[in-house]
Amino acid sequence: MKVTAARMLARDWRGGELGVLVAALILAVAVVTGISAFTSRLQAALEQESHRFLAADVVVTSAAEMPASWRQEAQSLAIDTAQTLSFPSMVFAADDNMFLASIKAVSEHYPLRGELRYSEQAFAEAQPAAQGPESGSVWLDSRLFALLDVSIGDSVSVGEATFQVAAAVRSEPDQSPSIYNMGPRVLMHFSDIAATEVVQPGSRVEYRQLFAGEARLIQRFVTWLEPQLQPGQRLLDVKQGQPGIGSALQRAESFLLLAGSLAVVLAGVAIALAARRFSERHTDYVAIMKSLGASSGAINRLYGSSLLLLGLAATTLGCALGWLMQAGFFAIFAEHLPVLPGPSGIRPYAIGFTTAFTCLLCFAWPPLRRLAQASPLRVLRRDMPHENRRSLGDYLLGLLAVAALMFWYSGDWRLSLAVLLGLAITIVLGLGLALSLLRGGRLLGMSAGSIWRLALAGLQRRGSANALQVVIFAMAIMLLLVLVLLRTSLIDEWQAQLPPDAPNHFMLNIAPEQLQSVTDMLRSHSIPSEALYPMVSGRVMSVNGEDLPQTDDKQQGRRQRGANFTWADSLPAGNELLAGQWWETGSTAAEVSLEEEFAERLGLAVGDTVGLLIAAEALEVKVSSIRKLDWQSFRPNFFMVFPPKVLADYPATFMTSFHLDAEQKSFLNQLIRTFPTITVIEMDLLVEQVRAIIDQVSAAIELVLAVILAAGALVLVAGVQASVDMRMQESSILRALGAGRRLILGGLAIEFATMGLFAGLLATIAAEFSVFALQVWVMEMSYAPTPWLWPLGIALGVLLITGLGLYSCRKVVSSPPLAVLREL
Amino acid sequence: MIKAENLQKRVAMAGRELEILKGINLEIKSGETVAVVGASGSGKSTLLGLLAGLDEASAGRVVIADTELGQLDEDGRAAFRADHIGFVFQSFQLLPALTALENVMLPLELKGRRDARQQAEHFLQRVELGPRLDHYPRQLSGGEQQRVAIARAFASEPKILFADEPTGNLDSRTGEHIINLLFELNREHGTTLVLVTHDLKLAQRCQRRVQLEDGAVLAE
Ligand SMILES: Nc1ncnc2c1ncn2[C@@H]1O[C@H](COP(=O)(O)OP(=O)(O)OP(=O)(O)O)[C@@H](O)[C@H]1O
Ligand SMILES: [Mg+2]
Repeated sequence: MKVTAARMLARDWRGGELGVLVAALILAVAVVTGISAFTSRLQAALEQESHRFLAADVVVTSAAEMPASWRQEAQSLAIDTAQTLSFPSMVFAADDNMFLASIKAVSEHYPLRGELRYSEQAFAEAQPAAQGPESGSVWLDSRLFALLDVSIGDSVSVGEATFQVAAAVRSEPDQSPSIYNMGPRVLMHFSDIAATEVVQPGSRVEYRQLFAGEARLIQRFVTWLEPQLQPGQRLLDVKQGQPGIGSALQRAESFLLLAGSLAVVLAGVAIALAARRFSERHTDYVAIMKSLGASSGAINRLYGSSLLLLGLAATTLGCALGWLMQAGFFAIFAEHLPVLPGPSGIRPYAIGFTTAFTCLLCFAWPPLRRLAQASPLRVLRRDMPHENRRSLGDYLLGLLAVAALMFWYSGDWRLSLAVLLGLAITIVLGLGLALSLLRGGRLLGMSAGSIWRLALAGLQRRGSANALQVVIFAMAIMLLLVLVLLRTSLIDEWQAQLPPDAPNHFMLNIAPEQLQSVTDMLRSHSIPSEALYPMVSGRVMSVNGEDLPQTDDKQQGRRQRGANFTWADSLPAGNELLAGQWWETGSTAAEVSLEEEFAERLGLAVGDTVGLLIAAEALEVKVSSIRKLDWQSFRPNFFMVFPPKVLADYPATFMTSFHLDAEQKSFLNQLIRTFPTITVIEMDLLVEQVRAIIDQVSAAIELVLAVILAAGALVLVAGVQASVDMRMQESSILRALGAGRRLILGGLAIEFATMGLFAGLLATIAAEFSVFALQVWVMEMSYAPTPWLWPLGIALGVLLITGLGLYSCRKVVSSPPLAVLREL
Repeated sequence: MIKAENLQKRVAMAGRELEILKGINLEIKSGETVAVVGASGSGKSTLLGLLAGLDEASAGRVVIADTELGQLDEDGRAAFRADHIGFVFQSFQLLPALTALENVMLPLELKGRRDARQQAEHFLQRVELGPRLDHYPRQLSGGEQQRVAIARAFASEPKILFADEPTGNLDSRTGEHIINLLFELNREHGTTLVLVTHDLKLAQRCQRRVQLEDGAVLAE
């Protein structure tokens, strides 16, 4: 009877040999598919979430109405559309009350993404609205009620049209994050624009055309749309959405990608371990088949098809298990999740499949193939010349394959490189360790405490195998440490960004003579407020003596633009100096400090001169420094900061920010009535929204971390298992010779603890580098070394490996030695 | 000295119970030399393992020098072996991670002997492996490994020495030499010898022969 792959596998299965490999394969595939399906579904959800800040998936902005053909094309693709139009205009009420408001007209279906919120009274509790105001009615910003002295049901007029006040508008998903020059909002229906007669050709208006639909269709639509855009029409997608939340979501996505990539590496390691065990255990099998006359071709075919069969069976089961894992997860945690999980597509399963086959091919196949070529006796006696055994090349090949898989998975070479850097460091240090173990003199001298000698002799004698194992343990621990570290720094940063008492209201246009009474009023209500910033309005007119064009085209970088200036003696909190020098206190020099991107747009560097127009007076200043701002913070930020003396003679107003709890909102009514000229801008709902999303994203990250930790623990278990055979055999021989429990367990404990110590140390070093690379290259965060990582990593290595090792070997001291030996 | 009463060993195999030893009764006096003979598969190695406390019997008991092995736990039996018993495995069971010398030193070190090294060298020389002290098991031939295993069993000068086919892999001259060594030990120290062998000449030199067949004592 011919030996076929199926028959060999069936025999192997009965003999219990195959169980380990199959289990490892299934588990690895399940982990990688489960985690990547899990993360891509979360990612899809987060992506969806980020769209809410556009109120759509993509938006086109324009100064003129956009062609109806765009909407028709979108509708033919089953893409939803909505339109908005914003412009400043006076709002009039009874008794000649009027105020310059920022009008926004919205069509039906607005917003396509996210939530519009209103309340039935000014500053009352906000609730989600299914739709904007009906034709003929308007919703007013809460503070307009006091400014115009109107209440619900009263009439106000805009241009030639009169509207009934129906509600207070509290938040829009696509609220502009810019807090300057923003009048209070009046929300009306899109179809009422014509009646107002205020929008004329040439008025300063912004049309927005909103689109939302299935990602694939949107993609198609955008490809169709882009060539038709006119100058002045701009396509916005998520990246141009809310800057505050955008980078948080982006980092969360990077984290999820990283987690998935690590799952690929972990799975690769697990398969490599199992494959190694498989090929080791089949060494005799190959030799005996050869001595019985099997040709190397026949053996190659046999093992080739066996591995293929195995791979197919295990990946199928693994994919199914992975699918179950993530489906179970979402089923259990759905209600705690911020967002509805999106679809994962088949990519995760393709990745699981490819990972399994690549790893089998790289880790199980080469040694078996080489064995097939060697002479049977040499195989049986394990007397193989070095190059014929499992070689370094195999591992390098495997590592390369895993790297390629990781890159394929993440599509982000910087992220992949950062992880590979850590892996490479682990491997290089591990090789160094192996060499020093192998080269170091034998430890024969230490005969006194024979526990130690036994343990160390064992460690040393199996130097290369142990070093390999240390490397594998170190890799698993490193990946876990990296993930824990990143999670911690991400969450810390987010929390620092939005402390519970973060300012959530801004006050602008405070006249110098009002300063005292405003601060008194805040203090009497014990409302904490930030510093007061002076504000001077002006316009940038020229750069290095060259006049800038006056245009509304936002595409054009160098153009005249209005800006708010402030003065300060010292660098404002949260700012970072990138170039140049900050002025000395009391400087009278005509100099300015610019925000990084603002300087870039105007093409300005330190040493250039800028011509300004402030209150109809020209002023020429020299750029003395460039600053980076923290746009994530809800603090007042300024593009241009001057020495106090330079702006001293210009008319200035002041601004500040303060924190108000929900139950204190009625204070605003009082404030506005007392100081009608002051502008109050509510950011509380936005801040709440951002905080809620960040909480949710943090929860998702914790969840992924937990899953990966479990996967990493499984790899450690598999790694320990793989090393147990040899140790069990030795221990039972010792046992037969009469060694006591203490000696055997002590020796094993020392051996595993030493390996754990090295693994922990390598892991910590590598993790530190990897995290550095990830934070600096990928997440654009600042890196700080983490001293607590060192004891943690090392303790983790020692405890985990010793614990798992002793647990796996416990049988050695509880069962008779012959029974143990027979089972190996 | 060694007493086996109604010793039985059964194992479960593929759902069926396989009876390997079917109630062995045996008494071996101190200083006696006994050969266990019988066809392959008759249960010789199993019996030897049970007598040495390397495995647990399914029923019956083994008493050595007033100690009932079944009453001890695994650790107690290990300590007992360290003090009283030497064992030569049919498949040698040398530690691949240790050199020949270190393998032989092991039982001595386990007993905390300070002269472990000299003693081990001495016994390796007696099995004619003086020049191979620092070689690893995989560098030795089958017969050489067997001799290391024998030296290891001798080294701690046990009161009872069990040897499972100690000459199985040896040529007749070396085999002869090893057998002489065994009996010398028996003479010099009064060591009890229990050997499993297919070698008639060796069996003849023992004071008693126990023949096993199909898990039972056929004749003495
Ligand atoms: N743990 C076990 N599981 C299954 N069968 C076993 C086990 N231990 C022993 N046997 C069987 O019991 C029988 C006796 O085994 P044993 O090793 O004692 O034979 P033996 O007399 O030493 O043979 P040989 O002379 O070939 O060494 C054999 O058929 C063997 O296969
Ligand atoms: Mg036998």
